[in-house]
Amino acid sequence: MIAGTVYGVVLNDAVERERLGEALAAAPYGAPPVAPVVYIKPRNCVSVGGAAVPTPGDAPRLTLAATLGLLFERDLVGDDPASAAIGGACLALDVFEPHDSYYRPAIRQRCRDGFLPVGGLATRPADPALEIVTLFDGQEVHRWSLSRLVRPVDQLIADLSAFMTFRAGDLLLVGVAGDAPQAQVGTQVTVRAAGLPSLATRLVAEVSA
Amino acid sequence: MKRARIVHQGRETWAKVVEEAGGEALLLTPDGARIGAGEARWLAPVTPGATIFALGLNYADHNKELGFAAKQTTPLIFLKGASTLTGHLGATPRAADANQMHPECELVAVIGRPARRVSAAQALDHVGGYTIANDYAVREYLENYYRPNARVKNRDACTPLGPWIVDAAEVGDPQALALSTHVDGKRVQQGSTADMVMSVADLIAYLSEFMTLLPGDMILTGTPHGLHFVAPGETVTCEIERVGRLVNPVVAAP
Repeated sequence: MIAGTVYGVVLNDAVERERLGEALAAAPYGAPPVAPVVYIKPRNCVSVGGAAVPTPGDAPRLTLAATLGLLFERDLVGDDPASAAIGGACLALDVFEPHDSYYRPAIRQRCRDGFLPVGGLATRPADPALEIVTLFDGQEVHRWSLSRLVRPVDQLIADLSAFMTFRAGDLLLVGVAGDAPQAQVGTQVTVRAAGLPSLATRLVAEVSA
Repeated sequence: MKRARIVHQGRETWAKVVEEAGGEALLLTPDGARIGAGEARWLAPVTPGATIFALGLNYADHNKELGFAAKQTTPLIFLKGASTLTGHLGATPRAADANQMHPECELVAVIGRPARRVSAAQALDHVGGYTIANDYAVREYLENYYRPNARVKNRDACTPLGPWIVDAAEVGDPQALALSTHVDGKRVQQGSTADMVMSVADLIAYLSEFMTLLPGDMILTGTPHGLHFVAPGETVTCEIERVGRLVNPVVAAP
């Protein structure tokens, strides 16, 4: 289903931005971000169908950031409204090693094999305050609402489209909650949101063969 | 062998590149057509979905020029989306306020065999071929978040790549290649891949230690010193010994 590039953005959570406050004006940043802060999840990250997340031996605690993925059904053309090009939506679990700095691209932390389980596709939910719930071993550990996004989806797509074109088959992860939970090997993870197929996976030890 | 990706008879196709007497390249398509280099409609020779890695600060002399330490403690690696690529002779748009937009000639290693936890000594066995990228940067848009940030390095059509992929065996040692950039015939970059901080083999070993590299993935290995800010109307030629010449015009963005 994902035929193109998977893009995500950090620092799009108003709660995290509030918490970081003055730190974003200090070194090494110097000023709060102006453009959306983009990362890419390469193809080795993507898994579908509930495959387990391999947990590297050198990164025993992983952040599991549940988010909404939007799938582009066609290239954005001209002044197309962004919403017209979105063909579907899914839950996604952006997995990464916790890292404190946003200064350099976090390739080693974010791009390991299996670090992006995605759920089944459905029509994009209409609710701009969609609540995404994460459960570990059946217990709710995190809940956030897309009303926390600094740039709501349409504005995010518009701001990114000022310099890059989303193409058919690209997936956009709309943001990462700054307080996303952490887990280790053995944890069963479920992500739920109204109107979308649930996503279920578990953390297993990476095989080092 | 050299392989190019072109548009031919309404389809994207790979073509074999041969040299005619006289030095002009000739493209042979699977349906038997023979297309002169001047008539070809070039695409970036990229497998759809491939991961595109790029290196910052991987030539000691360029790092000095930018005010950074010669060797970074962690290699500065970033990723690029497919929409940033364009083929040989494709135009690169320069935004009206991008007064500090500069070309960066880079050797590109194309992965041929999957690589996971390979040593530097074995790494080059996993390279299928090499091509050339011009990894433009726009310094005005630099921000200190996941730097170099997407507005600098993930702009539509601001990474010309090609013209073709040359088999690794024909290139030989990837750390012994002269590379240069000329703008309207004037040399603005000149260096050697011998001066890379991390070699192609080092980079494959480093990346494959924590992730799987897949066939078709590309690693843009960084650029040597030489800063020239381009203007619309200029033609930029990136050349790498034993690989080829990648030519692109700079145009004013609409």
